[in-house]
Amino acid sequence: MQHKAWLGIDTGGTFTDLVLVDVESGAQWLHKTPTTPEDASRGILGGMEEILRLAELDPSELALVCHGTTLATNAVLERKWVRTGMITTDGFRDVIELARQRRPSFFNLDLEKPAPPSSRDLRIEVAERIAPDGAVVTPLDEATVRTAVTQLKARGAQAISICFLHAYANQTHERRAAEIVREIWPDAFVCTSSDILAEFREYERFATSTVNASLLPVIDRYLERFERGVAALGISAPPTIMQSNGGAVSPAAVRRAPINTFFSGPAGGVIGAVGLGAAVDVKDIITFDMGGTSTDVALIRNGVPAKHNVREMGGFPVRTRTLDIHTIGAGGGSIAWVDPGGLLKVGPQSAGAMPGPAAYGKGGERPTVTDANMVLGRLNQKALLQGRMEVFPELGRKAIETHLCERLGMDLVRAASGIIEIVNVNMMGAVRVISVERGEDPRDFALMPFGGAGPLHAADVAVMMGMPRVFVPQRPGLLSAMGLLHADARGDFSLTRLVLAHPSSIGVLNAGLGELERRGAAWLEQEAAGAPALFEWQGDLRYFGQNFELPAILPTGRLDDETLASVVARFHAAHAAAYGYAMPDRPVEIVNLRLAVTVQRPIPPLNAHVPRGALRDAVIDERDVWFFGAGFAPTPVYDRDRVPAETRFQGPAIVEQMDTTTVVPPGATVDVDSAGNLMIEIPTASEGLMQ
Amino acid sequence: MTMKRVDSITAEVVSRHLLSIAEEMAATLIRTSFSPNIKERADCSTAVFDAKGRVIAQAQRVPIHLGSMIGAVHAVTARFPVEEITPGDMFVANDPYSGGGSHLPDINIIAPVFWRGHIVAYVANIAHHADVGGMVPGSEAAVCRSIFQEGLRIPPVRIMRGGEINRDVFDIILLNSRTADERNGDLRAQFASNVTGIRAMEGLFARYGDDTEPAIEAYVDFTRRRFAAAIGRIKPGVYLMEDFLDGDAPGETARIALKLTIEGERMALDFAGSAPQLSWARNIPHQALIATVYTVAKSLLDPDVPANAGYFDTITISAPQGTVVQPVAPAPVGCRSISAGVLGDVIALALSQAMPERAIAGSGPHHLAVFAGPDPRNDGYFVNYETIAGGMGARPNRDGIDAVRVHASGASNLPVEALEHAYPLRIERYAIRDGSGGPGERRGGAGVIREYRALAEGITVSLSAERQSVPAPGLAGGAHGGLGVFVLDPGTPRERILGAAEADVALPPHSVLSIRTPGGGGYGPPAHRPSTLMDKDIREDRVSPSPAAGAVLDTEDAA
Repeated sequence: MQHKAWLGIDTGGTFTDLVLVDVESGAQWLHKTPTTPEDASRGILGGMEEILRLAELDPSELALVCHGTTLATNAVLERKWVRTGMITTDGFRDVIELARQRRPSFFNLDLEKPAPPSSRDLRIEVAERIAPDGAVVTPLDEATVRTAVTQLKARGAQAISICFLHAYANQTHERRAAEIVREIWPDAFVCTSSDILAEFREYERFATSTVNASLLPVIDRYLERFERGVAALGISAPPTIMQSNGGAVSPAAVRRAPINTFFSGPAGGVIGAVGLGAAVDVKDIITFDMGGTSTDVALIRNGVPAKHNVREMGGFPVRTRTLDIHTIGAGGGSIAWVDPGGLLKVGPQSAGAMPGPAAYGKGGERPTVTDANMVLGRLNQKALLQGRMEVFPELGRKAIETHLCERLGMDLVRAASGIIEIVNVNMMGAVRVISVERGEDPRDFALMPFGGAGPLHAADVAVMMGMPRVFVPQRPGLLSAMGLLHADARGDFSLTRLVLAHPSSIGVLNAGLGELERRGAAWLEQEAAGAPALFEWQGDLRYFGQNFELPAILPTGRLDDETLASVVARFHAAHAAAYGYAMPDRPVEIVNLRLAVTVQRPIPPLNAHVPRGALRDAVIDERDVWFFGAGFAPTPVYDRDRVPAETRFQGPAIVEQMDTTTVVPPGATVDVDSAGNLMIEIPTASEGLMQ
Repeated sequence: MTMKRVDSITAEVVSRHLLSIAEEMAATLIRTSFSPNIKERADCSTAVFDAKGRVIAQAQRVPIHLGSMIGAVHAVTARFPVEEITPGDMFVANDPYSGGGSHLPDINIIAPVFWRGHIVAYVANIAHHADVGGMVPGSEAAVCRSIFQEGLRIPPVRIMRGGEINRDVFDIILLNSRTADERNGDLRAQFASNVTGIRAMEGLFARYGDDTEPAIEAYVDFTRRRFAAAIGRIKPGVYLMEDFLDGDAPGETARIALKLTIEGERMALDFAGSAPQLSWARNIPHQALIATVYTVAKSLLDPDVPANAGYFDTITISAPQGTVVQPVAPAPVGCRSISAGVLGDVIALALSQAMPERAIAGSGPHHLAVFAGPDPRNDGYFVNYETIAGGMGARPNRDGIDAVRVHASGASNLPVEALEHAYPLRIERYAIRDGSGGPGERRGGAGVIREYRALAEGITVSLSAERQSVPAPGLAGGAHGGLGVFVLDPGTPRERILGAAEADVALPPHSVLSIRTPGGGGYGPPAHRPSTLMDKDIREDRVSPSPAAGAVLDTEDAA
């Protein structure tokens, strides 16, 4: 049987989206199935079976199955991790509780420090000590390690994290301790801090390693069921799992480091945007994924998404290479309310899926962003989901009148438009965080909305930001799942080597780079043996005395005097570019070495099935819609599925489709490309707020 | 001048822009600054002010800056007539007595925002500089006897004119610091932060035009009403409270007295009866006093209220001149953040009487240690400024948080691995200090033990602390927290207890300094502690079991 189809499965909190692509014909199928929280694999496997039936495809025809999962994320947020033991350096068992000595909120005294997965009775100290340069100060007391393992097992630990000071500089103690754990407890779930994150700063490394250990049994059980189910469906392609770094890897790699999947869901959307952008030659993008309760934004420059090395997860700093995605707690379901001073506020509380917005008629009584959109005619006032879901705009109207109008002393339309205005300004704040605050000018980027509510708000947000273009994908609800099909295989590796960037350090640096190369090669052997791979080297550098590093590309994985000098010169230039000054006379320090190994995968074709014909046939309605600066205006409503390729039309317009509604303000121009994507040109860009 | 009126939606939208602008200024400052203190510990804040000099939006990184920003613009406008200020000007100040500062290392940079030829707003930022001269490295030590020993005093002066740096002033600042390179980088970062703020404010005025100022006015007004409503919900009355700082000599204490009046929708704090100012640097200057009041009031009454002049206006503060909470020049003030911890307790315990269901017991403030000496590894000289957290007081519904900075203080620790790489010191132990949290139905937060071993010749340490003789009070029958203590070479024949304020104590190679910080007070009788919590305390080795009280303080060094 010929392998010709690819399958992406994106599991979200409420729904699992599946997308199936026939790589020969370009045909696409979409399927949505409820997520089954008690055992996520059940819903997913059922959904896989259904979409294969829908496409009339034999399971053996699948060449690629890629899965984005929020399992590890949910396990941390809901504390469904296992009791985890820690074996750590004498004198330092409380590091994971001391954290960085800041209270969780400066002002809200009700917020407590998060309880780590390893309670204090499961943290055992052993004598050992390594100096910052890797020298052994105190040898490892192996007998205490043995006792510790027995004690931890007896106290109910189900996984063990080994965390020694300065282990990034010398792994021997941690590795030996792990060996002892496996001698005594052969099937133990165990990881060492230097294998998970070979970087300095003990709290961050210990927390990352221990959270990872606490998820090992959880992810193992899940993948076990998933893999068995996939095989039982008759699918021979080995499944891959999306990671936070935007690359997909084997279940084996995820079993070692489940923390690498924390932002797997939003990463799919960003990688989907990169893939779509590459196909249509839009390389500078700000993604805008607005759902019911939250919104994710990310910046893509020249086709490369911005990345980060640390993110907070459930109150813990998780140091893992991740796409730089900023999340805010506002979406279509966010509730509007009046604060005690009389100001109108939107979110962070959300009506969620149940009871949902008032206008859904499922018992919700408080006004939401969706209710405001409906009152203003931006959303269809009869039914959503192309007629499949009846709505009740009078309930939305009543919710706004009851809870807001009277208290604010304003009429319905002003209150509703105020909700939209405030949620948009929150969105603008999120976009500024990933652009302006990172030194990027958003006016150089196209805004790409997706998720259920993104295209409803994108044009207004673009106007506020002075962004000239909004690019609405053909299937905005599908982009995250599509992204799974665009993902390369990618492994990221890092190692702290705190030395001066001086010829005398070349031996230490090359030894470190050699260690990274070994790790990268071992990973490659497992993930894609024999495949052509790209090895990219990077150093984090800083001026001696600084505590903040800048990345600089290393030309090779082996340095000599000349290449090191060129790296230092590049650092001075990068510092001048980022901060406006350089200090060429000051010594430069190397902090971390990094390696990214990438194996490229082929890209799926664009959807080949776009309608032809006349634009006027796509107009299904006309209604009064409210716009900023214009108020209500009679506005044509287009059916996205009937909008022909390669046409142009003017705002105001509403474009409805199964998965979303797009608002096109007056004066904007929409160009439909050959694949059915909408490019909205915003005329008022020059009046934006940006400087 | 009569202003247009705007509705609450425009006010909210404009307020969001203002907060974004303050955040962008902070991002620029942190991104472009040089020193670890600003970059890694984020010991800095940024703010936007209206034309009258009132704070309208602030990006807080450290609560004690809440007040430090308040006087900044007024200090400038008091010296420079508005008509003499031109676009591209910036002003610098740090003096607590004339420049709106709260201690000398915190340098304020203030800039006007012009629109249609008039000043419509100001932007300013504050950054903690690691050294501004004075008798000790780090410019902060309890042993200073006069502000002149604490470093360079800068009244509000022009540091930038028409967009060009005024070298006359700039060079004086650099020359007075032990680390001039860093000051150069950090000051430029502060200028860059203000430039970001000015451009964004100009954009805001361009967008909202004549609606901008009324929207700002309305936002401040909404904030005032919001906080007034919060005050209106607590029990009116007059509440008295007092607590004590360590005094000038061992065994002496200095009183902080407070009469708190809650009446209608206002609160008034009167500190009459407080002790005369101290000769050591633990006095609390005006800006630190108001910052602590605003922080504690916000924490207890309405944590989410925006930090702007609207809510400040609902609070009246008075304190007699020449007292520990309103010192006059040249009283030293460098270590005000530790004493502000005790001040925070006085305010919190007074407010707790008016809102018993959200009360909080006394807390253990952080201790300060500044290590200095030659580093044989690179033939250099090092200065390591560190704050070590205490523990938070207990509340009716929860234990105090262990090992955190309290009230108006908030900077983070220095990682052990970063410290050992940078300095010839080894940390032998870093742990939660069991038994230091006051027992109670809800236990006070525990302090910290951090032990330093000297690895080189010639290292000295300067130390500053509070609550080494007066413990954090418990509440409603809860016991007080454990006292802090500095111990040299613990468990050896050379063991010696050091004072709460010490300068230049020698740490010969291999000697160990143990810093043990104070814990918070407990809430409710210890005998009422729920058995599940007691079991957990014992299982986790946090207290020793005792038949009488359920759990008792480890009395090792707490009595």
